[in-house]
Amino acid sequence: MATKKTMTLNLTDAEMGVLEDLCEKKDLSKTAVLRQALRLYQAIETRVEKGAKLFFENEETKEKAEVMML
Amino acid sequence: MKIEVTKDWCIRMARLEVETGADMEIGGASAVASPDAVALDLSSESMPETNIAFGRFVSLMRRKRRQTVESLAEDAEIDVTELVEIEEDNHHKPEPRTVYQLAKHFDVPTPSLMQLAGLSVAKNASFYEEAIRFAARSETVEELNDIERAALEAFVSVLSNRK
Amino acid sequence: MSIETSPVFLLDVSSGQPIDAELLDGIAEQQLVHWEDEWMPVLRDAVERMKAAGIERTKWPQSRHWDWRQKAQGFDRALANPGFCVTCQGMTQGMMFLDLLHKARIKSQTGKELVYIEYLENAPWNRRHIAGDEARFAGVGSLLVRAAIELSREEGFKGRIGLHSLPQSNAWYANTCGMTDLGADPDYPHQLRYFEMTPEQAEAFLAKGNTP
Repeated sequence: MATKKTMTLNLTDAEMGVLEDLCEKKDLSKTAVLRQALRLYQAIETRVEKGAKLFFENEETKEKAEVMML
Repeated sequence: MKIEVTKDWCIRMARLEVETGADMEIGGASAVASPDAVALDLSSESMPETNIAFGRFVSLMRRKRRQTVESLAEDAEIDVTELVEIEEDNHHKPEPRTVYQLAKHFDVPTPSLMQLAGLSVAKNASFYEEAIRFAARSETVEELNDIERAALEAFVSVLSNRK
Repeated sequence: MSIETSPVFLLDVSSGQPIDAELLDGIAEQQLVHWEDEWMPVLRDAVERMKAAGIERTKWPQSRHWDWRQKAQGFDRALANPGFCVTCQGMTQGMMFLDLLHKARIKSQTGKELVYIEYLENAPWNRRHIAGDEARFAGVGSLLVRAAIELSREEGFKGRIGLHSLPQSNAWYANTCGMTDLGADPDYPHQLRYFEMTPEQAEAFLAKGNTP
């Protein structure tokens, strides 16, 4: 694993609020949450680039709703 | 990421492994990862259909060497049933070990044959175009040769004698 | 890709002596070459012997189907799927791929992040099941599980790990590793048992090797 680089991130109040909520929910630091988000984003992008689609499925009705990835 | 592990820890755990007969192998019974909704398995994608080209390639390489299916299966140390499926069934997905053995036997790069067999992803689309072109060009319209004719006639007898 | 090496030790089973080894935080081309050129032939021979001895197919090593090169290709540059390996005497002795996008299932940890061990394999000459009394080195599996725990701690997941175990390893994970057995997973091929380690169990695993 490579050495780490530091960056400054500018977030709105709303974004910071969401980040802090996620940190509390997941018991993770802000850095850890953002790194997870990056991993997930990359994983999804890779699949979508290969032609896959991302869906949410309603557990009860089994209805699928596509998540549009830009 | 550097990990500091003491010698004592390594050896103590190693001795525990020996005592308990631990045999380390973790992974799904197939190459498919956990179906957990969040986990995305990137290592077993569905690949473009190149099975026709793969089967055709194996068949032609075998015939070039003037081998029967049985003798190729024996020489390459693979299952003869699977070899028949590879050559005859376009939907058959070969076992990685079989492709590995065939690559060694035919002296072609294993990664390339894995891509042709649909077990891994080629780096560029032109590979698949070439594979499809090969499959289209290599379909024979020639008459049966003596061996094919004899084998066919023998098998027709078998079919005819069955009740 | 820059790979960091940590000095570790394996146990030479026949002599009972410690041997210098290395734990690497990545899987490089050399590992794949070792797998192709050294591991596969030994695995293949083992399967032939088991076949000849009439041993049932379900007892054959599952990893005979695994293609580490395909896995490495699929996980190439995937941030969520780091790999680790152990080398000793210039040869790859074990490899592992992880997944960082799994969630814990144990009630007390539900929804929390953990490091999931996707694939872990010990070189065939180290496995009693294959090499019998000729098994060469011990300690590979423990080191790789430890690496998963350490990564889990590094990522803020507090040492939580999870894995699906093959039947012959269930006792190891339950007893020696002290993991929680969540039972047969109906959604997993062959309904393998799913095991998880809580932060406390991770602490205990690390302490175990330090306890005389």
